[in-house]
Amino acid sequence: MNEKNESRRDFLKTAVAGAGAVATAGVAPPAAAQNAPMQMDHGAGLGAFFNPEEATTIAALTERLMPGAPGKPGARDAGVLNYIDLALAGAYSDMQEFYRHGLTQLDAYSRKTHNAAFARLSERQQDEIITALESGKADGFTWPTAREFFNTLRTHTMEGMFADPIYGGNRDFAGWRLVGFPGAQPQFTQTEMQSKAAYKGGTVVGLQATRKV
Amino acid sequence: MAVERTDVVIVGVGGAGGIVAAELAKAGMRVIGLERGPRLKTQDFEPHDELRYFQRQDLRPNWKKQPVTWRTNANERARPLQTLNYGAQAGGGTVHYGALSWRLHEDDFRARSNTIARYGARAIPEDSALTDWPLSYADLEPYYERAEYEIGVSGKAGNLKGTKIAGGNVLESPRQREYPLPALIPDRCGLIFDDAAKKLGYHPFSSPRAILSQAYKGRPGCTYCGFCQAFGCHVGAKSSILVTKLPEADATGNFRLYTGTMVYRVNSDNSGRATGVSYYGPDGSDNTVEAELVILAPFTYDNTRLLLLSKSAKFPDGLANSSGWAGKGFMTHLRARVQVAFDNEFINVYMGPSAQKHSIDDFNSDNFDHGGLGFIRGAQISVGPVALEGGPIGATTMNPPPGIPRWGAAYRDFFAKYYARHAAIAAQIEDLPYPHQTIDLDPNVRDQWGLPAPRITYDSRRPNENARVEFMNRKMEEMGHATGANLVWRSPETGGAPGGHHMGGTRMGTDPKNSVVNRYGQSWDVPNLFLLGSSTFPTMGSGFNPTLTIQALAYMSADAIVNRYRKSPGPLI
Repeated sequence: MNEKNESRRDFLKTAVAGAGAVATAGVAPPAAAQNAPMQMDHGAGLGAFFNPEEATTIAALTERLMPGAPGKPGARDAGVLNYIDLALAGAYSDMQEFYRHGLTQLDAYSRKTHNAAFARLSERQQDEIITALESGKADGFTWPTAREFFNTLRTHTMEGMFADPIYGGNRDFAGWRLVGFPGAQPQFTQTEMQSKAAYKGGTVVGLQATRKV
Repeated sequence: MAVERTDVVIVGVGGAGGIVAAELAKAGMRVIGLERGPRLKTQDFEPHDELRYFQRQDLRPNWKKQPVTWRTNANERARPLQTLNYGAQAGGGTVHYGALSWRLHEDDFRARSNTIARYGARAIPEDSALTDWPLSYADLEPYYERAEYEIGVSGKAGNLKGTKIAGGNVLESPRQREYPLPALIPDRCGLIFDDAAKKLGYHPFSSPRAILSQAYKGRPGCTYCGFCQAFGCHVGAKSSILVTKLPEADATGNFRLYTGTMVYRVNSDNSGRATGVSYYGPDGSDNTVEAELVILAPFTYDNTRLLLLSKSAKFPDGLANSSGWAGKGFMTHLRARVQVAFDNEFINVYMGPSAQKHSIDDFNSDNFDHGGLGFIRGAQISVGPVALEGGPIGATTMNPPPGIPRWGAAYRDFFAKYYARHAAIAAQIEDLPYPHQTIDLDPNVRDQWGLPAPRITYDSRRPNENARVEFMNRKMEEMGHATGANLVWRSPETGGAPGGHHMGGTRMGTDPKNSVVNRYGQSWDVPNLFLLGSSTFPTMGSGFNPTLTIQALAYMSADAIVNRYRKSPGPLI
């Protein structure tokens, strides 16, 4: 990993830590996730798309959408921020303005209703805002609409949780381990397919890495 | 600008075009196939990657570059659909499809006549264009058999020459021959579905699929990895056109495939005869193929779009559109779904061929008495993952049960517990044709080539359809409870959006006044122009996936062209 990528890694870590300071104080990610090596990031630059403030907000938002708890990895543990940041610098580059506008509107709404930036609010306040986004009741949103912004954030959070780790999320298969998905297995036997038990195939298969279940 | 001559030009080399390309080339005709996507190989489909293929639709058209727009009625501005469920490469949709391979029932070809005979003309919604097909099941049966054997379909007969066989679909119309391959092995989804269906007195069976249950014609059997719908098969066990008909076409030496090409017009002369097509090459060049015979076999929308883009002095409303029916009678399969989840047993829904694994035919077509129900026709009901592929990203599209939000700790816990313990029972519901459900050219949205996007004007929320959807939801809830699941819940309505399997727009018929093509897909107006694919379906007929019927019709058209049209070019009817 080159110097640029190390800088970017620090950048994202800072954003995540900042987001968690208020919202998730006292909840530590699972040890496995803390110790996991950073996933590759396709050589993109420092803060591939988000600026520090945006990254902090996205980290907080996605962590509320998929919160972590002991033994239950969430968005922060899985690296969802990293996933979205890379996606917006690459495959979803045509959605940069969508995100930038959405975050600007969110910030305005957060300051209007709670007098502070989203990432500075309590979990309960953050959940109130997300509920208002989901229901379309958050005012002041033109483009994207509150609902569009919520739906996109939810979709991208789920992608970051459950897409293969090479895309920058699902760190150390955190999402797949959470739900019991073994990745792209080359085959299943009749016994495995007809079993009422959890699959115990032994190895999670990713595009570039495997891991014992 | 290149101009070249050939006997036959085929636009779109997918489920229908690939068959006709191979059959005509084998008969010695020189064929050029124009395909807007690339030609991929089996080894291109490994590794399986849910984000790339399911979520980002890598084997399907890019909705931003090749938009298809939709509005519920003529007063709205249409917006691009963000999921396009058809192919974007040689082989078309057969590359990424779930490979369900159904024959329609005898009744399905006579939906109008049979409805009137059994329930009276008033049972048909006044504004519907429900009609009989211009051919019968018996006419198509030999071609269904040929498609099953040449392409490779796994299943178990339920009605062999009139003898009912338990374990197969006993409600299917009589077949002359057993499937070429035994049914695929059931997985846990299939077993719980069969058990529930039998408790309720229904007749479940392993859905017939163009996926090899054992080695066949040099290809290996399925490995049950689960990556079917939305994915290409990494061992070639899915009987896509890429591994079945294209090698046959190649072997003739008479077939040339031009990939990365976009046909924008069918050319015609003053007499109204088609002279060939014009297309943009991969380098942006503007080219022409002149041909004796022009065959259009792109996905549904583009048959209509190409006619509308090919206006001439003789056909001011679109080529081959003297009837005015081009674009009318657009239909899609409606969807209803009930999820089941178990506290104490696993389903592991990601295992095994992914789409519509086991089915019942008991509530399809006119297989049940509609007296007093307030609607006609029915649905195929099946079991599988909610997204027809079993990965976790697909499963996050599932609405959780009432009381559980779509995000937050409660959602995380729901999803963590039930992802591997849930399954979906889904109804694929017939849609009646209505003349005002249309495809036309969007005046506001253009594709990457600057052509107007196909625009769908469609709303599934009509009284007959709503009643049919509600009936199916109730039947599926009963089935869900019969599985013994701890949680049974419905999916929400879809806001009138087009569902799966888009059909219609260039309907076939017996009368040139109210149809675009005859039973062979031959234009009434332009006899050297054929249109193939589900755009020719005049009525859906059932809740069955259309591909095998598209393929059987393609074989029938190819036969008619080789054995009759070639000797005496002109109207086949």
